[in-house]
Amino acid sequence: MNDSLFSQLSTLGSSVILLLGITLLWRKSLHAYASIFRWQSAALTLMFVIIGYFADDPELYVVAAVLFILKVLVLPRYLERMEKRFGDQRELQPYVNVVTSLMLSGLLVLLAYVIARPLVLVSDLPTRGGLPLAMGLVFVGLFVVITRKNALAQIVGFLVMENGIALLAVLATFGIPIIVELGVFLDVLMGFLVMQVFVYHIHSTFESIDVDQLNELKH
Amino acid sequence: MTFFFLILPPLLAALIASLVRPYRALVGWIGAWLSLISLGAAFGFVTQVINGQTQTWGLKLEWLNLDEVLRADSLSALLMVCVTAVATLALFLSPGLGPPIQNPHWGELAYRPNQLRRYHVFINLFIAAMLLAVSANNVGVMWIMIEATTVFSAFIIPLKLNKASIEASWKYIILCSVGIALAFVGTVLGYFDFVSLSGRAGNALNWTVLFANAHSLHPEVVRLAFVFLLIGYGTKAGIAPMHTWKPDAYGESPAPLTALMASSLFAVAMYALLRWKAVADATLGSSYTNNLFMALGLLSLLIAALSVVLATDYKRMFAYSSIEHTGLMCLGFALGPLGTFAALLHLVNHTAAKSLMFFLVDNIEHKYRSPLIEKTPGLLKTMPWTGALFAFGLMTLIGLPPGGIFIAEFALFRAGFALKHPWLMGAALVLLAVVFVSFIRHLNKMLYGTPSAEEINTERPTERFSWRIALLLINVAMLITLGLSLPAPLQTLLNQSVGIISK
Amino acid sequence: MTGYLLEFSQALLALLLAPGLVGFVRWVKARLQNRRGAPIRQPYFELAKLFGKDVVMSNNASWLFRFAPYIVFASTLAVTFLVPLIAAPLPFDDIGDLLVVVYLLLLGTFFLALAGLDPGTAFGGMGSSREMTVAAIAEPTIALSIFSLALGAGSTNLSQIVTATLTQPGSALSPGHLLAFAALFIVSLAETGRLPVDNPSTHLELTMIHEAMILEYSGRYLALIEWASWLKLTIFFSLLANLFIPWGLALTFTPAALAVAVVTLILKLGILGVVVAIVETRIAKLRLFRVPELLGMSFLLALLGVTSSFLLK
Repeated sequence: MNDSLFSQLSTLGSSVILLLGITLLWRKSLHAYASIFRWQSAALTLMFVIIGYFADDPELYVVAAVLFILKVLVLPRYLERMEKRFGDQRELQPYVNVVTSLMLSGLLVLLAYVIARPLVLVSDLPTRGGLPLAMGLVFVGLFVVITRKNALAQIVGFLVMENGIALLAVLATFGIPIIVELGVFLDVLMGFLVMQVFVYHIHSTFESIDVDQLNELKH
Repeated sequence: MTFFFLILPPLLAALIASLVRPYRALVGWIGAWLSLISLGAAFGFVTQVINGQTQTWGLKLEWLNLDEVLRADSLSALLMVCVTAVATLALFLSPGLGPPIQNPHWGELAYRPNQLRRYHVFINLFIAAMLLAVSANNVGVMWIMIEATTVFSAFIIPLKLNKASIEASWKYIILCSVGIALAFVGTVLGYFDFVSLSGRAGNALNWTVLFANAHSLHPEVVRLAFVFLLIGYGTKAGIAPMHTWKPDAYGESPAPLTALMASSLFAVAMYALLRWKAVADATLGSSYTNNLFMALGLLSLLIAALSVVLATDYKRMFAYSSIEHTGLMCLGFALGPLGTFAALLHLVNHTAAKSLMFFLVDNIEHKYRSPLIEKTPGLLKTMPWTGALFAFGLMTLIGLPPGGIFIAEFALFRAGFALKHPWLMGAALVLLAVVFVSFIRHLNKMLYGTPSAEEINTERPTERFSWRIALLLINVAMLITLGLSLPAPLQTLLNQSVGIISK
Repeated sequence: MTGYLLEFSQALLALLLAPGLVGFVRWVKARLQNRRGAPIRQPYFELAKLFGKDVVMSNNASWLFRFAPYIVFASTLAVTFLVPLIAAPLPFDDIGDLLVVVYLLLLGTFFLALAGLDPGTAFGGMGSSREMTVAAIAEPTIALSIFSLALGAGSTNLSQIVTATLTQPGSALSPGHLLAFAALFIVSLAETGRLPVDNPSTHLELTMIHEAMILEYSGRYLALIEWASWLKLTIFFSLLANLFIPWGLALTFTPAALAVAVVTLILKLGILGVVVAIVETRIAKLRLFRVPELLGMSFLLALLGVTSSFLLK
């Protein structure tokens, strides 16, 4: 009974996290992007705590704490600060419009189900039901990076992709070794800082954060 | 112990560079001399490995199991030498080591002290990250370090902040970060497969452990994991179709950094791919990964060949040449032990040749205003030494003897025909011929002719033979040596590495 | 015999409850907006008033204009025979399942749209085209969201879906069910002309969707059409309530069980009414070109629900 409750909770949690990721394709305002990311990271932290509780692994609590501090407190604050500075831009039409993006994301989730079939078959953990959803989130994050024209939106898409990978890792293996996990967080933080620096540079050089304008370097 | 001597010097140099404000030339010199210690340590590893010893280093605490997290086997030792050699040259030839360039016409290339400080901090961190990546036994740590190299190099690609460099570095960081994230998915899947067999263990991400258990991993999961890893690390290596950041990033970064990226970082990315290829081959048999490598290798060759024909900017032209060599190496790795030997030899030679070219490009950039090929004629007249070495290096790159690349490509084709892939080798030969002709054409435009006054920096003194040119002669000497013979230590090292990758 | 009696009384119950439900929603909205609001029985008085009035028709209207209200009313009433309002299984189950329900509703929408076009007024045409835009995306979503439940139950028969959920209570919280509920909720708002898709109490013609189609109607025709649209609201709410939270439905046809079923139905409709009233008060009406985005989102939720029901069985 415990196992099936665990399994249901993990599937439910993964669905919520995936849905939040898909909502990124629906909303166009930068403020929405930052707050969706914050909620998604909070849900992810909750997932880590739940899995840590059911799998009896105190390391996951530590990881959840670091995740919370990094992705719910620190990064969204930076994002909001950037959004305040650059958010007065017009809402940019993405390369693919909203309705098409939503349909394509449905197809991406189906693709993720197909691709993750071998994983679900091989695994015997109770959390295996959420594996396709985590893979779907990785694809949705990738889709956001490719189809958004706004530099901040691309950054949020990358962070959502990292969320998806963290979810995949914790659902598939109850957590990767802690040293690697912490290293990953450090890398994400550094990557984010670099990207943040670049958004400032882009804004000051190009007067906007429309990535479409970065098209000087052709052949 | 030797690991400390390998990795600590660049970290120390970065620390010194960040502490000293404002930037002084002394900092650059200290960093350059410190890198010699790393070079020595790398050679130390090579001698140990040739004698059959594999050194490891690990840390085992109660709550942290880092058993055997660093390990130096033949493949690692080979790459350590590649990385440290180019790193030493790059640090000696970095901006900020000579007298400051004060020329009002050439404001673009005169770097300010804070830019130089940023450059020296991050290039040393970059070198340290690469060295940690090749000495890491734990594939998770390897991934972390490769991601770190992306971040560190992204800080210094736009050393001069203009529209083009910012665009290049934005594309670089987004594309490479996304690619590396996909490589992490592959790493997680590999770990997942192992865990579902043997349960969680702190050292489960060690390559040695994965390799030892590879035959019992599930084939479908390993197939899926390898695809993700190929896409991910392939983005970093510049395999088509994930290569689009290369021309932009190489075209806009300062030339010593480009030299490091083109030779060492590329080698490190291929190293990561090879480690995982070894594991995948042990599980699936080598045909699956070989087919993937062949397909992508041929695609890279094709795209590179067509792009070189149309190239107008000489730095981007070398980026396309890099993609071409990436394609050739992928083909080599797909052709069994013979091909792997050829590809590894190619890797070593390519490291020497590409870094030589980019260091020369650094000189050319300081003399000529424009990065376009048409606007840089008359190299032999204005810069005789650079022009001569440039011609030599380019001809080596396209595979003419007595360069080492000729030997490597010859070995590659011999392996290909021996394994009965005539159509594949034929296609590769045709594409190589296309590249050959285009490069000769571009070279002719650059070597001969007379530049007009506004194209060059007339205030720069005419080129004399200086210690900078002397350093580059080391590269030349190595290429010629490898082209004429294969020294026994190198042969042993290569054979051992081939043994690791493809049994 | 009891079965057929049950069916007719179910339809009668729906007819009688429909105006009350709408009145209740209006009353709650009014209270939320700090007004007193008309009493809950106000819609009954409206119907009585309308039935007593004369019909005024345009000269350009054809037979379609006269017949459409009857078709709309009849098709919507027919659906109440097939939806498990107070009991499951029902004797008419053999005729109708999920697909029949969806297409009967669509039949009504179709004729209403034609009737909007018939008199040749500009507003009528505008309303019809808008309604068709909404229906085009909403209708497959209804089918998909109920289909995700049907996958779990193994049949598209609505009563079987209900009994399947009753026998496996855990499935009510499965992702497929939750996603389907969310999708169906959004679609209910769209199909019944509630905010944020359409404002039912607007008097500005350019913002109307449903109201614009029926601008020309008066007298008993208008009464029938209004009653049909309230009945549609009742049907959607009952679907939402009984398919996803079926506890309280009478599985045996004893008077006690039926009484309990009626009371729970009224309770569930009331709760849903309050929820919809809160949603309508909190959210502003969407601009028309954004409605497809909202409906696309609901379609995606339904699709994900089907996927997870299918693949996580």
